[in-house]
Amino acid sequence: MGTLGLALPWKHRIPPVPCQRERRVEPFRDVAAPDPAAEAMRAEDSALAAACQSGDLRAYERLYAQQGTRMKNLARNLLGNPIDAEDAVQETFLKVQRGIASFRGQSSFVTWTFRILVNTCHDARRSRMRKKEVANDDSEESPRLEPRAPSAHPSLRLALERALASLTRHQRDVFLLYEVEGFRHAEIAAMLEITEAASKNTLFQAKKNLRQVLDAPRGSDVPGAR
Amino acid sequence: MNHVNVTCNDRDRIFEDGAPAEWAALEAHAAGCATCAEELRAWKSLSAAAAELRDLSDSPSLWPRIQRSLAEQAARKTHRKLRWDWQSFRQSMSLSWQTAAAGAIVLLLSLSAGWFYLHRTPPPQSSDFLKTKALADVERTESAYTQAIDKLAADAKPQLDNPETSPLLANYREKLLVLDSAIDDLRAQTGQNPSNAHLRYQLLAMYQEKQRTLEEILEEKR
Repeated sequence: MGTLGLALPWKHRIPPVPCQRERRVEPFRDVAAPDPAAEAMRAEDSALAAACQSGDLRAYERLYAQQGTRMKNLARNLLGNPIDAEDAVQETFLKVQRGIASFRGQSSFVTWTFRILVNTCHDARRSRMRKKEVANDDSEESPRLEPRAPSAHPSLRLALERALASLTRHQRDVFLLYEVEGFRHAEIAAMLEITEAASKNTLFQAKKNLRQVLDAPRGSDVPGAR
Repeated sequence: MNHVNVTCNDRDRIFEDGAPAEWAALEAHAAGCATCAEELRAWKSLSAAAAELRDLSDSPSLWPRIQRSLAEQAARKTHRKLRWDWQSFRQSMSLSWQTAAAGAIVLLLSLSAGWFYLHRTPPPQSSDFLKTKALADVERTESAYTQAIDKLAADAKPQLDNPETSPLLANYREKLLVLDSAIDDLRAQTGQNPSNAHLRYQLLAMYQEKQRTLEEILEEKR
């Protein structure tokens, strides 16, 4: 089990990292002591939402400055190419502007924005799939992988992207939001309208499936890795 | 920190939703368990590998594009809102206010129409219609004329009533009957429309024709 489907065992391919659980703190674990940084973030989030609700375009620029790169990255991973990703981010901003009056602050403004982004990306994928069906293209709908910025482990990234294509939509969403974008389970639950426990379980299943796909011997039929 | 004992069976549960103390216990357990050590390393490696999917490269043209489309959408929304405001104003007016507004408009139109009616230029008087004074003169003259013709008719009556009259007088009699019938019709029409000068002229022509006929009858007698 120690080696995955790639040429090298994990321990050789990527540097050892500290326990990732320490990277973020789940909200239910810090209820005892209010976190000033979290409070400041909440205040900033509310101020940003209020400014957007007042129609101030500079507020949207602030939102883009804070979250634009992360939004584009998530869209890129969900849609597979940067052009569609940029279109999805633009469409998300327009939807936020159109629907800002209905934002009631039940989740954070950023969480709400990312929920719109995820839905927009799924809509775009469905639309792309319909177009493919019309064009009688029988290829499976999965993110079209296009080159992006060079990384330290390009083969690992490519393998991971292909493995992600084998996951269910929910598993892919949760994995990308948690492991790539760094959202907490509470935030992911609000975005995907699921429970926190479901988010944790989905992540667990996603990682188990990814391990199975990446562990598969070379040359075997890897689902979604075509 | 409380000491937590974990076994290989706890591994998946901790992976899914382990507390920090349980993770620490699993790390300690993995130090002496090769299987758990490998699983733990692979599990963490997936998280590390996810970092490869982070592309933080800048897209300089994206924000200007978004900004432009946001501004366009805001402008469209403002335009729609203005239209909506007028419509909602109309819809929000109660029925009584709508009735009052409609009444005010009708009143304004009536006043305008009245003003124009009062200040209009009088139309030129038609020659076909007689003024009251002229009508009285015509009726007085016509009455005298009728009486004069009746005197002529009275003079001609014995000649016309004679059964031994010539065929010419018989024709005159027929003609007078026709003229009297026409005169009766015209008098009935002028009775309904006394100011109509056209009818009066026609009636005068009939009287003149009757006068001439009676004069011719009287000439025959001599």
